Amino acid sequence: MGNIIINDLWSFLKPEIFIAGGIFIILLADLVIRDNRKAIHFTALIILIAAFASALLQMGTESFIFYLGKGNNHGLLAVDPMSTFIKLITIFSTILIVIFTITSEEFKGSKFKSGEFYTLLFGMLLGMLLLSSGADLIIIYVSLELLSLSSYVLAGFIAGSNRSSEASLKYVIYGATSSGIMLFGISILYGLTGTTNLYAIHTILVSPHVNYLTLGLSILMIFIGIGFKISAVPFHFWTPDVYEGSPLPVTAYLSVASKAAGFALLIRFIKVGFISSVGTNGFWNFYENFDWQLFLIILSIASMTVGNLTALWQNNVKRMLAYSSIAHAGYMLLAIAVLSEKGMLAFLVYIAIYMFMNLGAFYAVMLVANKKGNEEISSFAGLGYKNPYLAFGLSIFLISLTGIPPTGGFIGKLYLFIALLDGDMYWPALIALLNTVISLYYYVRIIKEMYLTKALDDTTIETSKTELTFMFALVAPILVFGIYFTPLVNFCTNFVRILGF
Amino acid sequence: MNSIPIEYYLILSAFMFSIGVTGVLIRRNAIVVFMSIELMLNSANLTLVAFSSYLGNPIGQVFVFFVMTVAAAEAAVGLAIIIAIFRNKLTVNIDEINIFKW
Amino acid sequence: MIDLIHFTIIIPLVGFLINGLLGRKIKNEKVIGAIGSGAVGIAFIIALGALFQLLSLPESERSQVVTLFNWFSVGNLEINFAYLVDPLSITMALIVTGVGFLIHVYSIGYMHGDKGFWRFFTYMNLFIFAMMNLILGDNFVVLFLGWEGVGLCSYLLIGFWYDRKFEKGTVAQAAKKAFIVNRIGDFGFLLGMFLIYLTFDSLNFTEVFSKAASGAVPEATFTLIALFLFIGATGKSAQIPLYVWLPDAMAGPTPVSALIHAATMVTAGVYMVARTSIIFASAPAIMTVVVIVGILTAFFAATIGLVQNDIKKVLAYSTVSQLGYMFVACGVGAFSAGIFHVMTHAFFKALLFLGAGSVIHGMHEEQNIQNYGGLKKHMPVTYLTFIIAAFAISGFPGLSGFFSKDEILWYSYSNFSLGLWIIAALTAVMTAFYMFRLVSLTFFGEERFDHHKVHPHESPKVMTVPLMVLAFLSVFGGYIGVPELFSGEGGNKFHHWLEPVFAAANGRLAENAEHSHFEEILLMALSVSAAIIAMWFAWKIFTTNKELAEKTSNKFKGLYNILFNKYFVDEFYEKAVISPINKFSEGFLWKIADVRLIDGFVNGTAGLIDNISGTIKRLQNGIAQFYAVIMMTGIAIILFWIIFSL
Repeated sequence: MGNIIINDLWSFLKPEIFIAGGIFIILLADLVIRDNRKAIHFTALIILIAAFASALLQMGTESFIFYLGKGNNHGLLAVDPMSTFIKLITIFSTILIVIFTITSEEFKGSKFKSGEFYTLLFGMLLGMLLLSSGADLIIIYVSLELLSLSSYVLAGFIAGSNRSSEASLKYVIYGATSSGIMLFGISILYGLTGTTNLYAIHTILVSPHVNYLTLGLSILMIFIGIGFKISAVPFHFWTPDVYEGSPLPVTAYLSVASKAAGFALLIRFIKVGFISSVGTNGFWNFYENFDWQLFLIILSIASMTVGNLTALWQNNVKRMLAYSSIAHAGYMLLAIAVLSEKGMLAFLVYIAIYMFMNLGAFYAVMLVANKKGNEEISSFAGLGYKNPYLAFGLSIFLISLTGIPPTGGFIGKLYLFIALLDGDMYWPALIALLNTVISLYYYVRIIKEMYLTKALDDTTIETSKTELTFMFALVAPILVFGIYFTPLVNFCTNFVRILGF
Repeated sequence: MNSIPIEYYLILSAFMFSIGVTGVLIRRNAIVVFMSIELMLNSANLTLVAFSSYLGNPIGQVFVFFVMTVAAAEAAVGLAIIIAIFRNKLTVNIDEINIFKW
Repeated sequence: MIDLIHFTIIIPLVGFLINGLLGRKIKNEKVIGAIGSGAVGIAFIIALGALFQLLSLPESERSQVVTLFNWFSVGNLEINFAYLVDPLSITMALIVTGVGFLIHVYSIGYMHGDKGFWRFFTYMNLFIFAMMNLILGDNFVVLFLGWEGVGLCSYLLIGFWYDRKFEKGTVAQAAKKAFIVNRIGDFGFLLGMFLIYLTFDSLNFTEVFSKAASGAVPEATFTLIALFLFIGATGKSAQIPLYVWLPDAMAGPTPVSALIHAATMVTAGVYMVARTSIIFASAPAIMTVVVIVGILTAFFAATIGLVQNDIKKVLAYSTVSQLGYMFVACGVGAFSAGIFHVMTHAFFKALLFLGAGSVIHGMHEEQNIQNYGGLKKHMPVTYLTFIIAAFAISGFPGLSGFFSKDEILWYSYSNFSLGLWIIAALTAVMTAFYMFRLVSLTFFGEERFDHHKVHPHESPKVMTVPLMVLAFLSVFGGYIGVPELFSGEGGNKFHHWLEPVFAAANGRLAENAEHSHFEEILLMALSVSAAIIAMWFAWKIFTTNKELAEKTSNKFKGLYNILFNKYFVDEFYEKAVISPINKFSEGFLWKIADVRLIDGFVNGTAGLIDNISGTIKRLQNGIAQFYAVIMMTGIAIILFWIIFSL
C-alpha cells in the first residue's frame, strides 16, 4: 500500500515535489550563501526548470492521487491534461518572474532578501500547482490559503514602503474575508452532501433530494473565493490597489499565474461538480434549476466593461494594466461561460497568449520604471525616440492586448468569438467586441504617448542588451502565434480534457 | 439519546458568521477587523463539526484541524502586515490607509 | 527538385533578411549585390531542376503539391502553406527568377554609388519572395498574400527615391497613386475570393477547380466571380480603366521598371486569369469583357506611345499595350498563347527597359529622346541589343515576339472575329512604328545633346552582359512555341506543355470553326509586311527627314495634343472622380456627415462612456471596507436573484 502511494507521488506529482523540495533548498541556501544573491537566483531557476521539464513529461497522464480510505474511488488530487496545462503556465510564468526579479530596480537594494522572496514565491507556486489539480474541498481550501498567504507577504515585500504595505494590508483584509465566506460556503456544501470530494458531490447531486436554495447559497459563497482570485467584478476591488502598490514582478505574477490557478479551480468546480454530462457536440449540460450560465455571463460582461471603462481614466500605467487584467479576466470567464469544449479550448489558447503579452507589457513597463522610478504615463513620453527597441516591443504587447492582427492577442480573441458564436451567444459576443473597441483607446494612448508626445525632460532610458533580448524573446511568440497559430491551438487541444469527463 | 438538534448549532454559527461579516464591514481598527475574520472562520468550523457529528462522518472534523492551522497562519501574517503599516503610518485605522484610489 | 521548390521562396527571403538586417553594416556593394542576386540565381537553378524533373514525368503527374505546413484551420476552412508545381507555375517561376536574376546583376552596376544600395536589394529580394508566393501558391490565400506583397514592394520601389521630384509632383505621390489604384483592384479580387469560398466552400485551387469543372454551379455565379477577379487583374496588370498608375510608376529606378513594371508583377493579372481559366471559361460574358478591355487597352496605349518623348514613358505605354494583347489572348480562350506572350514579352521588354536604363545611365539621367540622337557609336552594345529587342517587339519574322504575337493575332481571328484581328494588327503596326521612332531618335541621326555637359559612354560589363543574355533570349526564346503552321501537327511544344493546365477550360469553351492554313498565311503576311513597312517608315522619317514628322504633327495639332496628353485621362479622373470625391467628402462627408452626425454620435457616445466610467471610477475610493460593502451588496443582489428564480 505504502509503495503504491510513493509510486503515485513520484509519477504524478514531480513538479510539486520539486517545488516543495525547492523551498527547503532555497531556505538552506539562504542560510549558507546569503551574500551571494546571484547563486540564489540561479538555484531558483534550476529548480523551476526541473519542475517545468517534469510537468512536460507528465503530459497526457491522468490519475487520482491520495485515495481516501477503502472503497472510495476518488482521490484528493486529480492529475489530468487541464491541470497539467495550468501547471505548465504557472511554472513557466514563475521562470519569467525570476528573470523579472533579477533585472528589477526595486529589488536591487540591500534590503531585498532574495532567499525569503523565493521561499514565498515557491510557496505561491506550490499553492497554484495543488489548486489546479485539487479535487477535494479540503485540499482546495488549504492550497488556496497557501497561495494567498504567500502572496499577501509578497505584495508588501518592499520593507518600509508605504505603498507596498498598504497594498499588502488591503490584500490581506479582502482576501481573508473572501476566503472566510468561501469556507462557510464549503461547510454548508459539506452539510448538504456529507462529503468534501468534488467527484463524490457530483454523484450525490444527481439525486433530486437536494435543497436548491441552500445549494445555491453555498455555491455562491464558494464562488466568492474563486472570483476573488480571478478578480471578477464585483470581487475585483482589491486588484487595482494591490497591483499598483506591489513590487512590479509580484504584480505581473499575480496578474497571470494566480489568475490561471483561479480559473483552473473554477473549471474543475463547475465541470466536475455541476455538469450532468458532456453532449456529443461538446456542450456541457447543467442539471441545476438556477441559470448559472447566465450568472457567469453577467459577471464576465461586468468584469470586462468595468475593467475597460475604468482603465480609460488611469494615468498610472501599472494601474491601467491592473484594470486591463480585470477586463481580460472577463474575456476568459466568458470563454468558460460558453460551457463547451470549444470554450475550454478558447480559454486555454487565451491564457497561454495572455501570459506572454501581459508579462511582456509589465516587463517593458518595468524597464521604464527602473530608470524613471515611477510608472506614470508621462514617463513614457517620447520613448519611441529615446529607446526605439523598447517602444517597439511595448507597442507590440499593447496591440496584442487589444487583439489586433497579426498578433497573438487576436488569435485568442478569434477563438473566443468562434466559441461564443458556436454557442449561439450573440449578445455577449457583441458586447465583448464593443469592449475590445473601448480598450483600444487606452492601449493606444500609451503608444501615442511614446511616439507623438515630446518628452518633458531629456533623461535617457537605457536598457542593457540582456534586457532587450529577454523582452524580444517575449515579443517573438506573440508575433509567431499571431501568424502561425496552428501549433499552439493543436497543443492546447490536447489539454482540454478533465479527469472523469 | 437526547442531543441538541443540529439546527441550534447552525443558527449559532450563522449568527457568528453575521457578526463577523458586520465587524469586517464597520470596524475601523484593522486588528478588530482581523478578529472579526477569525470569527467568520470559527463559525465555519462550528458548522463543519456540527455536520460531522450529525452525519457521523469524520471528514468535517479533519477539515476543522486544517482550518485552525490556516487561521493561525493567517492571523500571524495579518498581524505582521499591520505592524509594518503601523511602523510607516503610526495608525491602524483602515479608512486612513488610502493612497491608492480611482 | 520539386520537393525543394519551397526553397525558391525561402532563399530570396533569406537574402531579404540578410540584406535588410545587416545591409547597413555590410556597406560593401559587391557583397550586398552578390547576396541579392545570388539568392535569386539559386532560386532559378532550383526552378530549372524542377522543370526538368517535371518534364521527365508522364503528363498526368505533372501537377504536384508541396505542403510546407498547415497555416491555420478555422471551422472547415483549412489553409496550408503549400505550393503547386505544374507547367504553368513552373513556367512563370522560371521567368521571374531567370529575368529577375539578370536584372539583379544589372542593378549592381546601375545602382552603383546610390546611398540606398542595400535598401534597393532588400526590397528587390522581398519582391521576388512575394512574387514566388503569388505564382506557386496552391490556394487563393497564399496567392493573395503574394498579390499584396508585390503591391507593397512595388510601392516601396516606385518611391525608392522618395525625395526626388517626378513630373508635376513628387516620387512619393507617384508611389501613392500606384498603391491606391492597386487597392481598388485588390478589393475586387478580395470580393472574388470571398465569393469563391461561399460557392465552393474551399479556397484550394485543386478543389475549387475540380468543383467548378464538375459544373453544379449556375453561370451567373461564375460571371460574378470572374468579374470580380478580372477587376483585380485590371488593377495589377494596368488595364483600362485602372492603367493610370503604370506610366507614373516609371518614377522608380529603371531596373525596377524592368523587373516589376514590365516583366513580372504586371503579368500577375494574366497569370491569375490563366490560373482560374476554368472559372473564366464558364463565364462567356466576362470572356467578351476581357477581350474588349484588352483590345481597347492595347490600342489606346499604343496610340499614346506614338508621341511620347520620355524614353521610359514610351516603354511604359508599350507595356500597357502588350498587356492588353495578353488579355485578348486569354479572352478568346487562347490561354497558352497569353502565357507564351508573357514569357517573350518578359525577355524583350526587360531588355528594352534595361537598354533604356543603360542609355539614361550614359546620358547622365536625361530621359527625353528629343535630346538624344546618334548614340549608336557611343554605346554599341546597348545599341545592338536594344535594336534586337525593338525588332522582337515589332514582330519581325523569326524573332520571339513574332511567334507569340502572331499566335495571338491568329486566335483573335479564328476564335473571335475579323474586326478584332484588324484592331490588333493595327496595334501591332503602331507598336512597330513607335518602337522605331524611339530607336531612330535615340541611336541614329544627329547628336542633339550638349557635348560640353554630356559625354555618352557605354555601361560597364555588369550591365551589358545581362543585356546580351536577354538579347539572345529575345531572338531564340520563341522557338519553343513555333506555330503548328510551320512545325506540323503537335509541333507547338509550349502549347503542348501547358495543355494539361488548360484542358478543363478548353473543354468548356465552344469549338471553333476550322480555318485553312491559307487564311493563316495570308493574315500573317499582311500583318508582318505592314509592320515592316511601319518600321522602315518610322526609321526613315525620324533619322533623315525630321521636318516631315514635325509637319505632320503640326497638321494634326489637335490629335497630337490629345495623344501627347494621353487622352487627358489623368485630367478626366481628376475632374470626374477625384475632385468630386474631394468636394463630396469635404462638403458633405466632412462638414455634415462627419462633423454633425458622426462626430456628434461619437462624441455623444464618448461622453456617455466618460460619464459612466467616471461614476464607476468613484467606487474605487481606496478604503478597503467600502470595497467589502460593495462586494456584500453584489452578493446580496445575486442571492435575491437565486431565491426568486427558484
